[in-house]
Amino acid sequence: MDRKRRKREVIIIIGVVALISVLSYITVRAFGSGSQIPPANMALMFILMNINMLLLITLFFLIFRNVIKLYHERRNRVAGSKLRTKLIAAFIGLTLLPTVVLFFFSIQFITTSIEFWFKIPIEQALENSLEVGQNLYKLVEENNTFFLDKAAYQVDSRDLLAPKNRSELGNYTQVVQRAFNLNAVEFYNSNFKRLTQSVSENLKNHTFEPVDADALQKGMADSKKTWSVSEHMAGGEIIRNISAIPYGAQGPDIDGFVVISIILPPDLEKNLGSISKGFEEYQQMKMLKRPIRISYYITLSIVSLLVVFCAIWFGMYLSRNITVPIMELAEGTRRVAEGDLSYRIDVIADDEIKTLVDSFNKMTRDLRFNRKELEFSAKKLYEQNIEIEERRRYMEIVLNNVSTGVISLDSHGLITTINDSAERMLNISAEDVINKSYKHLLKEEDNALIQEIRDRFWEKREESLIKSVNMTIQGKSRSFKVTFNALKDDNGRQIGLVMVFDDMTEIEKAQRMAAWREVARRIAHEVKNPLTPISLSAQRLKRKYKSAIDDPVFDECIQTIAEHTELIRNLVNEFSTFAKFPTANPTPCELPPIVKESVALYEDGYPNIEFHTQIQDNIPMLRLDRQQIKQSLINLIDNAISSIKTKGQITVEVSCNARRDKVYLAVADTGEGISDKDKPFLFEPDFTTKKTGMGLGLAIVSTIVSDHNGRIWAADNPPRGARFVVELPVNGT
Amino acid sequence: MKKPDGVILKILLVAACLLLALSSPVMAKEVKIADFAVTNNRDDLLVFFSVKGAFTREMVEAIQNGIPTTFSYFVRLEEDKILWFKKKIAAKSFTHTIKYNNMKDEYVIKRSWDADKAITTKSFEQAKSLMAEIKSFRLTDLDPLEKEHRYIIRAKAELDKVTLPFKLHYILFFTALWDFETSWHSFKFKY
Repeated sequence: MDRKRRKREVIIIIGVVALISVLSYITVRAFGSGSQIPPANMALMFILMNINMLLLITLFFLIFRNVIKLYHERRNRVAGSKLRTKLIAAFIGLTLLPTVVLFFFSIQFITTSIEFWFKIPIEQALENSLEVGQNLYKLVEENNTFFLDKAAYQVDSRDLLAPKNRSELGNYTQVVQRAFNLNAVEFYNSNFKRLTQSVSENLKNHTFEPVDADALQKGMADSKKTWSVSEHMAGGEIIRNISAIPYGAQGPDIDGFVVISIILPPDLEKNLGSISKGFEEYQQMKMLKRPIRISYYITLSIVSLLVVFCAIWFGMYLSRNITVPIMELAEGTRRVAEGDLSYRIDVIADDEIKTLVDSFNKMTRDLRFNRKELEFSAKKLYEQNIEIEERRRYMEIVLNNVSTGVISLDSHGLITTINDSAERMLNISAEDVINKSYKHLLKEEDNALIQEIRDRFWEKREESLIKSVNMTIQGKSRSFKVTFNALKDDNGRQIGLVMVFDDMTEIEKAQRMAAWREVARRIAHEVKNPLTPISLSAQRLKRKYKSAIDDPVFDECIQTIAEHTELIRNLVNEFSTFAKFPTANPTPCELPPIVKESVALYEDGYPNIEFHTQIQDNIPMLRLDRQQIKQSLINLIDNAISSIKTKGQITVEVSCNARRDKVYLAVADTGEGISDKDKPFLFEPDFTTKKTGMGLGLAIVSTIVSDHNGRIWAADNPPRGARFVVELPVNGT
Repeated sequence: MKKPDGVILKILLVAACLLLALSSPVMAKEVKIADFAVTNNRDDLLVFFSVKGAFTREMVEAIQNGIPTTFSYFVRLEEDKILWFKKKIAAKSFTHTIKYNNMKDEYVIKRSWDADKAITTKSFEQAKSLMAEIKSFRLTDLDPLEKEHRYIIRAKAELDKVTLPFKLHYILFFTALWDFETSWHSFKFKY
């Protein structure tokens, strides 16, 4: 780009130099080389003139080009063109007004000055002076003509031109010269040869050349009586009046010539020359008045144009200096706004614009540096975030895969995270509880616990708390060991709470079962032994004293002892059965036949109860202890029958899930149902709603189901009654 | 968008041409060489011609206001060949100068070929003819000329210089007041 420009500049310079040379040559030739000034100086003058002209044209070209460029820019709505136009217009306006005023004032001044030169009195005075000079010459000529006439007449009448009268002619010449006080008197023959001459004293020392033949012949050609020639000598101007002899003769009649000379003194000659020159110059000036005025006008116009052009050019230059950085700044701002911080303004300036540009460049540099730092920080942050996210996900995976439920709360007690185990344990969905208070997890009856948590953690700022919490989840009582741990940051500020739920239901149940079995075994062992002596003793008393004591009270007491002993025995047997409950021995078998057999046992015995069986087709084979399953089914049907006071329905359903990996056995009744309060304790030993029995039926059922790796739960059977569901795995695990 | 530089360059070119045109002398169409004749005496080739239309109103005014005026004459003799190259045999230039003396009301004419001898006349007509008429001008002797050869004589006249008072002729370069230059007048003859 720069090379191209340099090349173009070189071409332009060569072109300009060539043009100047050509123009100078042409001008010198046109104006001629015979000038009074030396050719070298003249050539220099023309070169300068042409340079001026070319400079003017170049300036005009620059301005015109810039104006056209500006017009194009304005038309294409190039940024900055409006401001440039305003600045240039302002400059033109500021320059044009004084220039125009000065121009017209100068024009007026020149006009009046030139007019002043040609005042009438000056011209009149010059004309009068010239007339005086002319009259002087005329007077000299008239006097000389008179003397010539007289002298010619005398010479002709006395025939003094004849060679024989030569001395007489000489005398006469002296007489005429002295008598008429002439400076010189000469006589020539018809062959233009001077015959005699007489000169005054002041011409004695000067060579006095004879009049040449041409001068003598001139009058002959003009057919004049007298004519004159004038010459310049050291002593002044010599006027030589000539006439033919005889006076006024023409052609062949001419015998000779008489020449009378009068010398005008040098001062007079000089003054006459000055008058002549002055009048000449005045006339020439008068003639050149208009061209001079025009040339002055042109010069003035060129100067004015030069001033205006310079102002326009300066305006353009200044406007460019102002607008270019502004446009660069605007462009830079736009580019920076688009996010290009590598943009740099390269404007050469040494004023406030430079400060502005430097500030802008510094700003972009700082922004670039800051952005790099930010990018670096963001990258680091992103990496850290990824790491944190990975850790969080890892933690989440860990949390979601641990069997314990984990719920975290923030400092306001709002739930922030909940893992799958907690969702499953508490039968809640994360979406429903996230960002809600932990109170939503607990029921109204747990107000004491809510209060305790608030007191301990949000008031007393304690570290941890372990509580056993019983909850009814989906109608089933669940027992949880909840560990509350305060979350604190590095500064010890509490930022939340972590609740860890351990489902203790099954463990507690197993523990209770084991304890109950131990109790049952001991009771069976300890209570059964005294029963036999009590029963036997009662029978002995009856046998021994039946005849002796004829008192109904005695018989009643003995009967009561026997009945209650039997009752206790039954209880003990029941305990014994529970304690000695055999472990399941599952074998592959089908569930539907067991169900049908069990229901068949009751169908005829309870006319007020309708028994229904709903068995899905294609129930897969299960590994079951047939006897135990039948026992548990009988227990469930017994409970259902017990809950129906008057009339009702008992429905036994067998179904499997879509994946065919679980089989559901449900016993639903339309009895009194189970209150939510009782639901947690249904499968506990010693829980019963019946008048008789030890409450071991459902505990036994639960044990059997557990032994088959299944689950049992109780639910409501809308519109009324209860529904016990047994879930059994198909593969037995 | 077309760059305006091309247009500007054209304008500059036109301006330069105008400047060139202005720099060259004004061609006065009415000024021409006429009455051209060639003859010879025993030894020399003689040329006769006159300049018509040189004395414009402005020039007459200038002369009568005492401005010394010089006419330059250029005469060339070349062999007339068909080819472009013409052999120059002789080339002469001379001047006629006129100056009016207002004090004596007479015109002084000096001619360079006449050893610049002053000829005075009170008649302006005579002065004009002395200035514009060339009679029996010795162009060359007859030695270089060959019989039966064709020759061409070219003549041109122009106003040589005008001397204005106060050196005004140096600043009035834009006003060609009475400047003239004839074109080359050609006259062919067979010797």
